[in-house]
Amino acid sequence: MAKKTYDLLFKLLLIGDSGVGKTCILFRFSDDAFTTTFISTIGIDFKIKTIELRGKKIKLQIWDTAGQERFHTITTSYYRGAMGIMLVYDITTEKSFENIVKWLRNIDEHANEDVEKMILGNKCDMDDKRTVKKERGELIAKEHGIRFMETSAKSNINIDRAFRELAEAILDKTAGREPGDSVDRVMKITLESANRISGNMSVQSVLTQNKCLPPS
Amino acid sequence: MPDCSATYETEVEEGQNKRVVKCKFCSSIILTPTTAAFSTFEYDLPVMKPNKDSTSPPETENISYFWAVKDMFTFFNVGFSNTVGNTKYLTCADCEAGPIGYHDITSKMSYVALPRVSHSDPV
Repeated sequence: MAKKTYDLLFKLLLIGDSGVGKTCILFRFSDDAFTTTFISTIGIDFKIKTIELRGKKIKLQIWDTAGQERFHTITTSYYRGAMGIMLVYDITTEKSFENIVKWLRNIDEHANEDVEKMILGNKCDMDDKRTVKKERGELIAKEHGIRFMETSAKSNINIDRAFRELAEAILDKTAGREPGDSVDRVMKITLESANRISGNMSVQSVLTQNKCLPPS
Repeated sequence: MPDCSATYETEVEEGQNKRVVKCKFCSSIILTPTTAAFSTFEYDLPVMKPNKDSTSPPETENISYFWAVKDMFTFFNVGFSNTVGNTKYLTCADCEAGPIGYHDITSKMSYVALPRVSHSDPV
């Protein structure tokens, strides 16, 4: 039997309007010299990343909605087992900010009630095109008692920090539980992820995948 | 280009990876030592070509040395592509270089192609 290489497993989701840069937060694609046409055409489903927090090895499994939000089909199955959610808006698009409230409601309806949330105002490298002031992001986060950060996937500002903070918040919660409890949960999530990836997807349906183009 | 004539004997200890498995381009850690099993078989993996022309169907390269991983959460850092048929392709989690291997949906096994990664001693 292979030895276990981690202590905890956290499933995280990225949620928000289309075009706010969710895919870029997780998957850089774009003009990266190493990204092959083959991989960027198929698109990436999820990533596994290992971080160390307070001496614990934590595996993050991070999922993107893969465009489901465009068809308003984000449902319970996508949220199932999620322990953390990054709610993303674009600081240059007012509408995406207004919709944060809508997404929060969607999360309340479908996600586990103790899911840890964080709001990200993305594209902070495009300050000249900003329409949403940082204070507004801070305020809405405060109103809902959630963490907030401005990020730039393109310039790689605060991305790692945001994931670490979200993981830390989940760890705080997990630590408060009975030890057996968290193990159960990890096992359940592993099973669900396995089920999820057994779902099939045709090449055609992913050919329309967004690319992270640099701002024009 | 991967050197296909390379022998990987020095990388294997008791059937497992002796050293850290890393991305060739950005050095992101993919597997920590002694977490994957050395396995040899033939598989045609799409080539890692720069993002220029998009020939379809993708050009492949025959690979015969792999690190086999039973549980996907054994990976330190890795990306899984969307599913094509019965396969998910593996990429570097940081720079997205790939495919560096593949995941078989049916058996739930993941295979990292040795010629597509680098190996180094833990720091």
